[in-house]
Amino acid sequence: MTDLSIKPASTEAQLLPLFKRFAVPVALIALVAIATTIQPSFLAPNNIQDILTQAAPLALVVLGQAFVILVRGLDLSVASLMATVAVLATAFDATSNAMIPAIFVVAIAFSALVGLVNGLLITKRNVSPFLATLAMMIVLQGVRFYYTQGAPSGSLPEGFRFLGAGRIAGFPVNILAFLACFAVLAWLLHKSSFGRKIYITGGNPVSADLVGIRSDRVTIICYVICSVMAGIAGLFLVGFVGTVDNWVGRGYELDAIVACVIGGIALTGGKGSLWGAAAGALILVLVFNIVIILGLPVQAQLIIKGIIIIFAAALFARAQRA
Amino acid sequence: MADTTVTTPRRRFRLDPSLIIVIALLAVVVGAGFVLSDRFGTTRNFTNVLEQMAALGFASLGQALVVIVGGIDLSIGAVVTASTVLMASVVEIHPALMIPMIFVTLLFGAAIGFLNGFITIRTGVHPLIVTLGTASILNGVVLIFTLQPTGSVPFWFEEFAYGRIAGLPISGLVMLACFGLVWVFLRYTETGRAFYAVGGSPEAARLTGIRSDRIILMAYSASGFFAAMAGAYFVSRTGVGDPRVGDPITLASITPVILGGLLLGGGKGNIFGVLLGVFLISLLSNLLNYMNVSTFIQWVIQGLIIIIAVSIYVNKGKKL
Repeated sequence: MTDLSIKPASTEAQLLPLFKRFAVPVALIALVAIATTIQPSFLAPNNIQDILTQAAPLALVVLGQAFVILVRGLDLSVASLMATVAVLATAFDATSNAMIPAIFVVAIAFSALVGLVNGLLITKRNVSPFLATLAMMIVLQGVRFYYTQGAPSGSLPEGFRFLGAGRIAGFPVNILAFLACFAVLAWLLHKSSFGRKIYITGGNPVSADLVGIRSDRVTIICYVICSVMAGIAGLFLVGFVGTVDNWVGRGYELDAIVACVIGGIALTGGKGSLWGAAAGALILVLVFNIVIILGLPVQAQLIIKGIIIIFAAALFARAQRA
Repeated sequence: MADTTVTTPRRRFRLDPSLIIVIALLAVVVGAGFVLSDRFGTTRNFTNVLEQMAALGFASLGQALVVIVGGIDLSIGAVVTASTVLMASVVEIHPALMIPMIFVTLLFGAAIGFLNGFITIRTGVHPLIVTLGTASILNGVVLIFTLQPTGSVPFWFEEFAYGRIAGLPISGLVMLACFGLVWVFLRYTETGRAFYAVGGSPEAARLTGIRSDRIILMAYSASGFFAAMAGAYFVSRTGVGDPRVGDPITLASITPVILGGLLLGGGKGNIFGVLLGVFLISLLSNLLNYMNVSTFIQWVIQGLIIIIAVSIYVNKGKKL
């Protein structure tokens, strides 16, 4: 992103770096403009709050996914982990809100363990991220269904509803949680020395090792971050949806990857920012909303998502080469 | 082109260890089956398994071809689904079109595959993203068209799935024949051997005069074609087009490809190993069903198989 040296070249070659830089904000503004044109009440505070509340769980997953994509990875197990964490939370069958911190601690510890296994398989056993996390997805799914025997029982404390769908002074609680996570992770990625190590590892793991970075360790930590974010997102999503079922968060693994791609995080690793990832999540949720506003069937979201991901990926791939 | 044909066969012979592992696992499963269940080791059961594995076989065969050229196809399930709906809903209105529709459906699958290959080549986007995108689009279109199983086909079409020739299921035989043809193609034709060269390194293949783009297009088209075959098989079995039937097939098609030693990196692997992988998965799930092991535990086992298999065939090369 920083290298903007433009050689005398075709107009296309001149325009592509500009595209790379401004595509995401322009797309965001354009989408908001489109939505407002179709439905003037779109910008009403209440509607904005609703959209943000819907976007928060996905955005949390996207933050984590961004970390693994930056180190040339991919995590397909996030959605399965979200549902597993949700089922795990009901295992307490707690009714008191005082149990919520304990549930969070257990959920985060479990998620971290899943991320650790993913990371170890990928770095120490050299398994491709696609396969390692795919296998993890299936294993978690099997364990979850076996534990619940198909239908989860147990209950969650009332407080989860507040976390998932409540508001503090007009701000959705889950968005506040997202902002807190974003602040921490953005500092980690963009300000700390560990963040530099992530970019160097993602850019080229071999040269990272040569300059004394333990690229394996960096990669494993990224997978742990990704899983922990998915676990947290799972708890907030359960709070938003209000009920636990075995498929909480289904499809989020792909949506998270799509959001990262839209946000300009290169699947080849080492390029992109957390701002882009967050914006990608917002773009995706806006598009889904516009589909609804237009009165199109919900299934049309699938079609539009497919078209967007191919086009966005193609444009960024082009900009990368230019 | 002549240059590449010298080196590729030797490369394939080196993969014998992976074949040995699959054969050993297969022997364990079959052995355990005879010991643990009375019904497992019967001719009738084996022919049933051969019939039931046809869909997985077709899908895995297509996936294998794409993986050999260094790609991956995550749209297989969507193509399977779309094929069943296309075939069953058209034939319901015009029953006379049954036979032409078989060809139309297969062509449709090949066309979607071609599109996947075309987009991959032209944009340089990772096939994972491209095929995910086309899968999403296809699923969207199908689900707008119908949310419920729909359509019908003439009764005789169930012969494809259930019919027997000399006691063996037609669908299983067709699947085996497809594997045989692809095996001969990959091993004994210049174009087939070029698949391995392209998967090893598209750039190097191109420099030796292989038209990599054309090979990649062929692989993806074949994948779509075989996915449509799996679709036709499902229509034959159930008589309807089902908008959800293909969902599990995409990921399922990957496991036999891994077991066959076609590490997801391209340029390697024996198609025969994939067939053994299909047998292994199908017999294992058959045996576990006889033993009343819940589907949920079977998922865990499937995931563990993937982890173990990929950990054994350590891939130092390209990663996805």
